[in-house]
Amino acid sequence: MNLVRAELLKIRTTNTWWVFALISLPLWALTLLVNWLQSDALTSGDLGEMPPEQAAQLAAAAHPDALSANLFTTGQFFGLLIVMLLGIIVVTSEFFHQTVTTTFLTAPHRSAVMIAKLAAAALLAVLFWVVTTGLNLVAGAAVLESIGVGNQLGNVAAWEAIGLNGLAYLLWGILGVGLGVLIRSQIGATVTGILLYLGGTIGAAIAISVLAARFGDWINDLQLLVPSLASSLMVAGTEIPGNPPRWAGAAVLIGYAVVTGVAGTLILRRRDIS
Amino acid sequence: MSDGQRSPTSDGQIVVSGLTKQYKNVRAVNNLSFTIQPGRVTGFLGPNGAGKTTTLRMLLNLVTPTSGTATISGHRYADLSEPLRHVGAVLEASSAHKGRTGVNHLRVICAAAGLPRQRADEALALVGLTPAAKRKFKGYSLGMKQRLGIAAAMLGDPRVLILDEPANGLDPEGIRWMRGFLKGLAHEGRTVLVSSHLLSEMQLLADDVVIIAAGQLVRQGPVDQVIGSMTQGVRVRVRTPQAEALTTALKGQSATVDADGQGALLVSGVDAATVGRTALAAGVELHELTTERPDLEGVFLELTAGKAGIR
Repeated sequence: MNLVRAELLKIRTTNTWWVFALISLPLWALTLLVNWLQSDALTSGDLGEMPPEQAAQLAAAAHPDALSANLFTTGQFFGLLIVMLLGIIVVTSEFFHQTVTTTFLTAPHRSAVMIAKLAAAALLAVLFWVVTTGLNLVAGAAVLESIGVGNQLGNVAAWEAIGLNGLAYLLWGILGVGLGVLIRSQIGATVTGILLYLGGTIGAAIAISVLAARFGDWINDLQLLVPSLASSLMVAGTEIPGNPPRWAGAAVLIGYAVVTGVAGTLILRRRDIS
Repeated sequence: MSDGQRSPTSDGQIVVSGLTKQYKNVRAVNNLSFTIQPGRVTGFLGPNGAGKTTTLRMLLNLVTPTSGTATISGHRYADLSEPLRHVGAVLEASSAHKGRTGVNHLRVICAAAGLPRQRADEALALVGLTPAAKRKFKGYSLGMKQRLGIAAAMLGDPRVLILDEPANGLDPEGIRWMRGFLKGLAHEGRTVLVSSHLLSEMQLLADDVVIIAAGQLVRQGPVDQVIGSMTQGVRVRVRTPQAEALTTALKGQSATVDADGQGALLVSGVDAATVGRTALAAGVELHELTTERPDLEGVFLELTAGKAGIR
């Protein structure tokens, strides 16, 4: 418990947390604007001619469940990236500033240190989620009112999405810590993390749709193995026709978080600090 | 070693036994054994790359030994229940987050070690850093960084102090302060182990020395004994206009006389008083009569000759 407090104090006593909060805010506002325009377009009716399959997807997306789920998880795309980077920094700043010696002198049981770091990153991630969700409940309800579907604050599907969103924040924070141990260099880990997240999302999505067009629909289910896509599937809000179920995305992401967390702990235990 | 086997006298004692660290291509530390006693300042000396830092890091559980053991008060560092209350270590001058203030750096350590928060302020006062407490670490001078490192080591009021090159970057005033501070700690009965390659400073500071080279023990013991054990003993430097007459007279006293190449004679085998008396009896005029003791530097260079350098 002392170690978790120390880890949180480490973050609190540097610029990191408010710099990240400051970056997150405009990104959140931008996403809110996009979601607002998108929700407005989906509910305002005429979207033109399209194949029936796509029409079914759009109809699902225009359902109040999906609209509210989307709005109440606004800021998620960048939010997950931010908490992953925070997780990375929790570990790599110790190597960057050479404070890891002091940390391990203070607490020679390195597994305990690693668990404290995982816990601290998870707590920070949840804190980010709580603040974002607070903003979303106010802003999202207002948008939903304005497009005429009611505030949806009593919608079970919406709360389900909010909950899964929280899980996503938690897991990406943990993934960040694991990544930070695997790649000690602050810049290296940050770049890898961003590539994994953004490149993973966009690149893998393109690759999978191309492959699916060539080899058949079953390839679509492979998107589960890409962490960022598993995550976006998990937080899709509602079941979208033609996609694997959400729980599968959650299971894959939890798997990744456990693997990086455990691998990181084992590596840190053995490593010579010099 | 279990508590039952531990003798009461091992409290504060550092025992290194058969310690070896093999890196891929280099045996950084090779079957090294020595003992450090409490109540004394021990200098841990060796040329660059001799394995000093690796040894200290193995002692502190930061580097895993290939074989051998290193214990403090009979325990491995990792087995100490509250390590900071027992051992304080200063390893790198630059080990704090650049954007964190000095006092916050110490508070983080207090939080992790379960020490009361005000220990941070007390430790800062102890090293004279209170005025800079709220300044960020990146604004600290090298000397202030060293002091902050010592403050961090003192947080738990430890029985054993281990410092790696603490005098690096200190100005003369800072070095004098450090000397007094460490001697004071040893005087209180604590164990003080200081690695350094500043030999003249070590001669002023240390009671005992452990000298290593190429990862192996070269000599261990009290400073005076180590210096006295060297082949080259005390010499007397004499300057005289009648060198030949004095040389003849001194050889009658079974002394050895050499020219130092700068117009003076170096006499060994007799003390300064004998040289003066002999000169007086021979009617030889003297311009200088100085006793030259070998210093730690000379001894160190002689002991580690040919073993220094890059491996």
